[in-house]
This record gives sequence, structure tokens and C-alpha cells, in this order.
Amino acid sequence: MSSMRTSFRCLRDIRPTGGKAAGAQWHPTSEASLAYRPKQPFNATRSIATSAPRSAETTEIIPSDVEPADQGRASVVQVPYARAVPVSPSYFSRKPIFNDAFVVVQDLARKYARLPIIPKDKVTPTAWRTKEQYRLAVGEHAKGRDYATCMKLAKRLNQIHPDLMPDEVKAGLLPFKREVNYYLNQPKVQPIDQYGRSHGVGKRKSSVARAWVVEGAGEVLVNGKPLSEAFGRVHDRESAVWGMKLTERLDKYNVWAMVSGGGTTGQAEALALAIAKALCVHEPALKNPLRRAGCITRDPRKVERKKHGHVKARKMPTWVKR
Amino acid sequence: MATANCWRCLGRPSTHRLLAPSSLTSFKAPTSVAAFTTSATLLAKDDNSFSMKGHVRTGKRLVLGKKKKGRGDRSKPPGPGERKAFRKRIQLSNDNALKVSGLPELEAQKLVDPAAVGQIVSLPTDLVDQLRTVEAFKPTQNWGLFRSPHMLVRKDTVDFLGDLTKRVGNKETVRTVIGGERGVGKSMLGLQTMAAGFMNKMVVINIPEAQDLVEARTDYSPIPRTTPEQFSHPSYILKLMQAIRSANEEILSKEIVKLEHIHLPVSVSRNSSLASLANATKEPEFAWPIFNALWQELLQPGRPPIMFTLDGLSHIMRISDYRSPSFNLIHSHDLALIRLFVEALGGKTHFPNGAAIVGVTTKGNSLKVKSMDKALEQAAADQAGLPIPERDAFYAKYDERVFEALKGVKVFDVKSISKPEARSLMEYWAASGVLRMRVDEKTVSERWTLAGNGVLGELERASLYVSRL
Repeated sequence: MSSMRTSFRCLRDIRPTGGKAAGAQWHPTSEASLAYRPKQPFNATRSIATSAPRSAETTEIIPSDVEPADQGRASVVQVPYARAVPVSPSYFSRKPIFNDAFVVVQDLARKYARLPIIPKDKVTPTAWRTKEQYRLAVGEHAKGRDYATCMKLAKRLNQIHPDLMPDEVKAGLLPFKREVNYYLNQPKVQPIDQYGRSHGVGKRKSSVARAWVVEGAGEVLVNGKPLSEAFGRVHDRESAVWGMKLTERLDKYNVWAMVSGGGTTGQAEALALAIAKALCVHEPALKNPLRRAGCITRDPRKVERKKHGHVKARKMPTWVKR
Repeated sequence: MATANCWRCLGRPSTHRLLAPSSLTSFKAPTSVAAFTTSATLLAKDDNSFSMKGHVRTGKRLVLGKKKKGRGDRSKPPGPGERKAFRKRIQLSNDNALKVSGLPELEAQKLVDPAAVGQIVSLPTDLVDQLRTVEAFKPTQNWGLFRSPHMLVRKDTVDFLGDLTKRVGNKETVRTVIGGERGVGKSMLGLQTMAAGFMNKMVVINIPEAQDLVEARTDYSPIPRTTPEQFSHPSYILKLMQAIRSANEEILSKEIVKLEHIHLPVSVSRNSSLASLANATKEPEFAWPIFNALWQELLQPGRPPIMFTLDGLSHIMRISDYRSPSFNLIHSHDLALIRLFVEALGGKTHFPNGAAIVGVTTKGNSLKVKSMDKALEQAAADQAGLPIPERDAFYAKYDERVFEALKGVKVFDVKSISKPEARSLMEYWAASGVLRMRVDEKTVSERWTLAGNGVLGELERASLYVSRL
């Protein structure tokens, strides 16, 4: 790694600094280089030359913005070909974008090593790009080990005290951050309405449940019926109010719910989700216990579709000899 | 944990102990093996006959699948009626359950006292015998889980029985239909009503299952010289009369026959007691005239008040499965015993001594009788002072006789129990050893919610059925 770094640094050291209006990527004109291309027609508007030792290696390109009207102008030194020097010194490596960004991060890390940092848990949560995401975004196959080293430095830089965070560090870390920092997403605040009701929606299989939770003494009405009529199985009744039972809120709230679609099990478990969500509106601190009780995460499993050539989703027809 | 079966008695519950020896011999099969058994003994018998042997290569035949012939249950199948007897048995005590001491005994006052709401009371032995005789206990109730019969005095009990006993005491006729959701305790309220009747010295007559009378299960015979033609259930009425006599013996033996019963097939002397009148015959064919005579005697002024209850009201509000000699279906209200009840409930019978006529509806085993539903709806609206709902103009099959039978009845809707009541009940269960959990506010409210906001039957289901065998 260090050897690679040295080589990049060398590349940068020999990089020309003469760019003016013509653009930084172009080297200034030299008479010697011009002499190399006598056969070429003088149709270039600008006289551009590269240094002698590099002229043999670089490719020669013809600038495209040629105007025939300028051909006869004697005052302009017309250069038929210019050797293009790439913007990035790591242009000839296989992953120039990553290497550049890595170098920037390394420089910044060295430059700002002495700035005060804050502990990791005080840092604003940042959505870093994973290795795969970075590869996908940049289109280069960044090596895992290099990326890990780079991220280590980047995270260290991110720990710099926010008041003293230099702008160039912010800019330098940008390629490694996801476009959207989902840690900063604010959930939409569900309101409790004027009657003290909160509303939650839950789904499971093909059932959809809507529950309105209000402070009360533990009465539950599902589709206008008491729990015992809505669900014949005691197990289903328990799973419907599971969140309230586990958080010991069963005797503190009344539930009025509407469920539709699916079977009894799906309806009961959809109801569990709906009640848990509505309960979180009243007491946001219950979200974690409810998540542990399994009442927050929606179970994404659904009936698998049938495929052609199959009897069911996966079942194959019986093999028949003839 | 308590089991429903007695552990000391290893035998299966069977009809052998229930049936008389004479009846046992009558349907005994000629062979000891049931006719359609697949047991190995029968298969073995066929070895000699060549035709039954099957294929010549029998021994080499490949048998696939799990089911192989000849591996059936070798035990003897239960005898005829044994399974039903097991299903319908009523067990009122269980020695394996823990004894709950310190609970008060039921008194007549307890059933009407608002302070007693939420108490568990034990049933006195005499009362248990009486209730058992009139078949007030149901096989669906879990009496067999407990050491001795206890019951909860709930708010509905006190409300209903307080009103009932007061009005019967004023020699009024109370005509009520007990309604409510499934499993909410309607039959149990019927039992409590009967208990109040026994303790308040009323003559209690109970038809425990109305469907027995209409589903063509018992024998019936036309009553001569009746228009329209009526029918009686001879054996059922005989059994019922014996139940009435033995349950109400104390009252009936004090009452003397007042009327002349010259038309009766048995001679009844003027000074004999009503108990002996009820006991006058063992012949099913004389059952109805004597029952009718007993009923007429009870309607005389100066007699004790009558309590007539019937469970499964919707069954008698339809056309029965019996057929008349001209092979027409008989309306339930043309069956004499049901007619007696229906006329009493509809207010056609005059009771000079006061009476309580209580019909208990069922939700578990019930028919959809639109006429009855509408009649009860109208009665409930009338009672609440609301505008009376109209009949459905597009329904042509309303039964006018049903509306007649339910004219002017009061409807008592049994509600779910409150949390304190549920708590005392659960504490009793826990003390009996059938509910093995801590009974505190948390668990009570949890079970209360799971039981559909305090539906008593569901509370039992959610709490006790895990331990029921």
C-alpha cells in the first residue's frame, strides 16, 4: 500500500502546474514537441505542447474544436496534436476515482490529526456506504482491504468536533457517505385526536387491521364484536392483544378495531401490529419492548405465487412413465 | 390437577350402571363381537374358507402405505349408548379437587341481596338434590372440576331474582325470557332461578331441554277429544311428573286434592296429597291426564306459587318433527306439554297464587327463528319504552302463534360479568386447584379481556379448559 501511495505521490509531483485559460489538464506549449509532428496539418487553434520526456509515452489526440477560418492566421502557433494528460494522476491505475478519494482522505487524516475529537457515541449517526454500495456508485472494483482502511480513516475524521470540522474534510468524506442519511429520518408523528384516540394500521398475510386505541379499562371490540366472538380460538385472542399483554397495558386502554381480509390467524396478528402501533402513539417509550415482543416488525411472508409447470408454487406434477 | 373421571374407579363409565337390568338384557347382541368389527379375531376365522383367501401370491404381495389390515384396535368398542352416557353425564363432585372452605352457604336472601354480589356460595345438599332431580345442571357446565357445587352470585342474578321474588310474593305472574350472548350464563341464571324457587317454596317444574320434545326423540300419542288435535309425550311426561314429585315433595305432600277427578283412569281420593296424585300412576298412557289434573290442582287458589322454566326456547317456536296421523307435521304448540308452557308464557293461563314462567334461550344449540327474534325484539323495545320495531314486510313466514306465545313477556338480557366478579370466581378456581396461576389484578383483567369483556363461558374456556380432561 505504501509503495502504491509513493507512486501516486510521484505522479502528482511531476504533474504540471501551468494551466491557464486553456485548462489545467493541458501542458504549456514547447517548441521541441512541435518539431516532432511536422507532417500533421496546422489546423489547431491553440499551441499546446508537452514536455519532452513524456511526449513519447502519451497518446496524441486531435482537438476537435477546429475552425477552418483560423487556418490562415499567422500570429497563432498552431499545434496539430496535443498530448492529453489526465486529470487524475491515478488515471492509469484500474480504479482512479477510489484512489483519488483515498489519497484525499489520507491527506486530510494527516493534516487534521491533531484536531480534537468527540467520542464515537456522541457523533451524529452517519450512513456510510458499504463496500458494495461504493463499488456500485463509483463503478470501480475497490479492494475490500483498501476500502476498510479508507473507512477507518474516514470514520476517524468524522469524529472531529463538529464546531471545528473543516469544510474540506466534509467534502473529502462525501464520496463515502450515502446520499441520504437515513439515521436522520424523522418518523411522521401520529397525532392523538381530540377524543384521545390514536390510530394504527397493521398487516399480516392478506389481512389488514386498523385499530383505534383510547385510554380505558381493557375493553376490546373487533368489527363491533367482543374479542371472544371475533376470534374463536383463545390463541388468536391472545395474539391479538399480545403487545398490550406483554407491556401490561391490557387494563389501561380500550381498543376499537376493524379487520378485513385473510383468515383468523392473519387477522389476529395484523391486529397485534395495529394495536402496537397505536399504543406507541400514546407511549413512544413502549416501542422497544413491543419490538422485542414481535409486534412492530411486519412479517413480509405471503403466499408464494403459483408457477406454470408446477401444481402449486413448488410442487411438480407426478412423474408418469408414458 | 383434578380430573373429571374418578381415579379409583378404573372402569369406563357405561350405561350398565345407569340402565335397569331388564332393559340391559333386551338389546344384548347374540354374539359378543360387534357386527362390523375389523379385529384380528374375525379375520382369523376366515382362514379355512378358500374363497376368502385372496390372491394365490398373497404372501408376496407388496403392501404400501401405512394402513395395514388387521392392525385395528383390539379393545372392545363401547356398547350402545355408552358414548352418549359418557358425554351427557353430570358429575357434581370431584374428590381430587381441593376443598374450598370458608365460603357461605346459599340462602334465599343471598340471591336477592345486592351486598352479596360477587360472592361465591356453596349449594346446600338438599338443594343440590332438588336441582339435580329437575335436571337443572347441564352437562356443558364444569361442575365436575370442583369438590362440591358452588356458584357465583352476580349482579344479573340479584337484579333478576330480586324483581322476580318480589312480584311472585305479591301473587303476580312473572313472564320472562332470559336472553344474552353465547356462554354468558343464561342456563346458569335459569338454575339460580330454580334455586330461588325451591328456597322460596314454589312448585318448580323444569323442562331441561326443549329440543327433546320436538325432535321426535320421545314417544307421542294423540290426546282424544281435543280440537285442534293435540299430542302428549307419555313417557316424558311420566318422567317429568316423577321429577316434579320428588323435587317438590315437601310442598306437594302438604297440599290436599281439592277437585273431583272422576274422569281420571285412576281413583284419586279427596284427602290424598298432591304428591300422591303425582305418584298415582306408573303407566305412560295415563301420564297426561294425571299431569293435567295435577296442573289444575296447582292452579287452585291457596296453592303455592308455580315456577315453570324451559331451556332452549327457540326449539319450541317452530313446527316440530312429529307427524299427525294424516302425516302432517305438528306445530310445536300442538304438543300438549309445550302448549301448557306457551299458554303460561303468553299470559293465557291465570295464576291466582303467582307464578314465574321463565323461558331460557340458547345461543349454542339454537335455531334461527325469525318470528321469535322479532317478537323478542318487540318485547324488549316495549319494555324499554322505545318505538316498537315493525315486522319485515317482505318475510312471509312469520308464525302468528309465536307472536301470540311471546305477547307481553319481559326480556332479561344477561350481561357479561364485571372484573370484581371475575376476580372472585378466579380466586375460587385457584383455591380449588384448577387454575394454577397467580390471581391478581393483572391476570384478572387479562383473562377478562380475552374472555370477550367478561363473557363467563369464555372466561372458563380461557382459564380452565387447559386443565380439563
